[in-house]
Amino acid sequence: MSTLPRPSTIFLAAITTLVAVLLYSPLFVPIVSSFFIISHGNVDWSSPTLSTYVALAGNHDILAALRTTLVVGVCTVILSVVSGTLLALYYHGRHSGRSILQFIIFLPFLMPPIISGLALLIFFREIGLERSLLTVVIGHTVFVLAIVYRTVLMRLQSMSRTLVEASYDLGANGWQTFWRIILPNLSSAMVGGAILAFALSFDETMITILVTGTQSTLPVRLWAMMRLGFSPDINALVALILMFTVLLCVLAARFLIPRQMATERN
Amino acid sequence: MSQNTDLLTLRSVSKSYGTVPVLHDIDLSIRDGEFLTVLGPSGSGKTTVLRLIGGLEPLTAGEIRLDGQDISRMPINKRPFNTVFQDYALFPHMTVSGNVGYGLSVRHIKRKEIARRVAEALELVQLGRFAERFPAQLSGGQRQRVALARALICQPRLILLDEPLAALDLELRRQMQEFLKSIQREIKTTFLFVTHDQEEAIGMADRICVMQAGHIRQLGTPHELYYKPNCEFVARFFGENNLVAGKLGPVQGEQRPIETALGRLVCSISDQPHLKTAPDGASAFAAFRPEALRLADANDGDNRFSGTIADLAFAGSSTVATIMAGADNAAQRLRLRMPSRIDGSILKSGETVSLSFAPHEGHLVLA
Repeated sequence: MSTLPRPSTIFLAAITTLVAVLLYSPLFVPIVSSFFIISHGNVDWSSPTLSTYVALAGNHDILAALRTTLVVGVCTVILSVVSGTLLALYYHGRHSGRSILQFIIFLPFLMPPIISGLALLIFFREIGLERSLLTVVIGHTVFVLAIVYRTVLMRLQSMSRTLVEASYDLGANGWQTFWRIILPNLSSAMVGGAILAFALSFDETMITILVTGTQSTLPVRLWAMMRLGFSPDINALVALILMFTVLLCVLAARFLIPRQMATERN
Repeated sequence: MSQNTDLLTLRSVSKSYGTVPVLHDIDLSIRDGEFLTVLGPSGSGKTTVLRLIGGLEPLTAGEIRLDGQDISRMPINKRPFNTVFQDYALFPHMTVSGNVGYGLSVRHIKRKEIARRVAEALELVQLGRFAERFPAQLSGGQRQRVALARALICQPRLILLDEPLAALDLELRRQMQEFLKSIQREIKTTFLFVTHDQEEAIGMADRICVMQAGHIRQLGTPHELYYKPNCEFVARFFGENNLVAGKLGPVQGEQRPIETALGRLVCSISDQPHLKTAPDGASAFAAFRPEALRLADANDGDNRFSGTIADLAFAGSSTVATIMAGADNAAQRLRLRMPSRIDGSILKSGETVSLSFAPHEGHLVLA
């Protein structure tokens, strides 16, 4: 950067700041306003309060939605981590048909969620599966599978092939090699993938609306609340979800940085 | 551990990847207890030989025998060999002792026994203090020693080393060469060491197997390879050498002349029967080492020719002169190496001198 003349540096800094403010300031508005009371459609800036959060804690609909979200998230994580890891292992050891498998896994993630949701909805109706939390879990798993798969596969590909060879060379069989060498080296990628999968499942709205039965998840609940107009608890809820999601992403990043780099930095 | 019994024999071993052949009909015997170095440039197939023996790759044709038993189809984890990989392949999630003890723990040996033998092995490679460290916390040389300890703890019949010193800097590499050699003497296990570095090979090996383009070119002691190379490739690849092309003359006992641009050169052919039987007029090279070439004195009859000193390079203990000889003192480039002296070289750049080498220090290789 020092090679650039000073005026250009200032100009670039100004542009960067402007873009950052435009992109990220909307995120802070609900957080800030969640600490104030809204009366007659206007925010009353005079007295900060936590009352919206207290009201949220007493809202049984929200709490039920939160519980549903957590159940769906945990089930989705388990299903997607197990199947994503198995698919990555299969893909890694194979030479033919790779790109087709890859394409199929990524399709639901890349398609507009409404298309994926509708496809799933039609499919569930055809096979006579009632809409319920089960269908939501299936929908989420199909959606987030690509993330877990990709994360695990990348770790697998960066793992030196000689680790596996060394294990066999030292007398281990395939089973021992898998449990004692391959899996421990994948574990941080699996945890990172699981956290990302949970964050995606936590936020997912479109597919959930289409395939859920009577129970709603938190984002769906939020969607329903917004139709009745903005209320202070929406700000509080958005602020909480935002913070939780950021926390998950930070955690995921921690697990996805290769271990060796982390150790060398210390 | 007699060095005269064969431990492992490769018979007509070939290997192809798809349609690309990388080894052609290799025959090789490894003696029990020896330090055998497989030396060759990259792409010569040397690492493939090691991987075939270790069981990391299947053979395309031929067989591998251990104590006379065919083990060509024995799975890798059943072979009594262990490998030190080029990148060490230490398990990053295990401590040093976890790594070293792995070969024992997969065989369900009791914990106490494992702990005892791990401590022993780490003592042998002088890493006792590092038992609880992780590989990422070790230096290159230490990782290398962990890999060695991990390979020898299972008491293999043969330890395979795949360019294990390539990633180390020069000083450390020298230390590790001595270290490897002393360990090999101490545990009396056969070592098969693959490298592209001929200096490394000379320093450590009992015998060297020179490979090129999927063939074994020569197998012998470092001394044999250095002084009696059997082909142009070995003569050029193994150490610095002067090669002068020419046509063979008639055999004279243990010597044979060759007609070259430098005139008639007489070279020794003792212990090289194929040079006795080669026909007169066959194309060959006279080969003599830079340290065998010297300024001629009045007593020299044979192998006398003149040359112009094109360049003098001081290399510490020795000084190397680049000399142009042959027609108009320009056709043939030669090197001469002599001990350095504190009061400067007796040679001067641009000077024309009379040169010679003793017939018993010159050899012939067929072209």
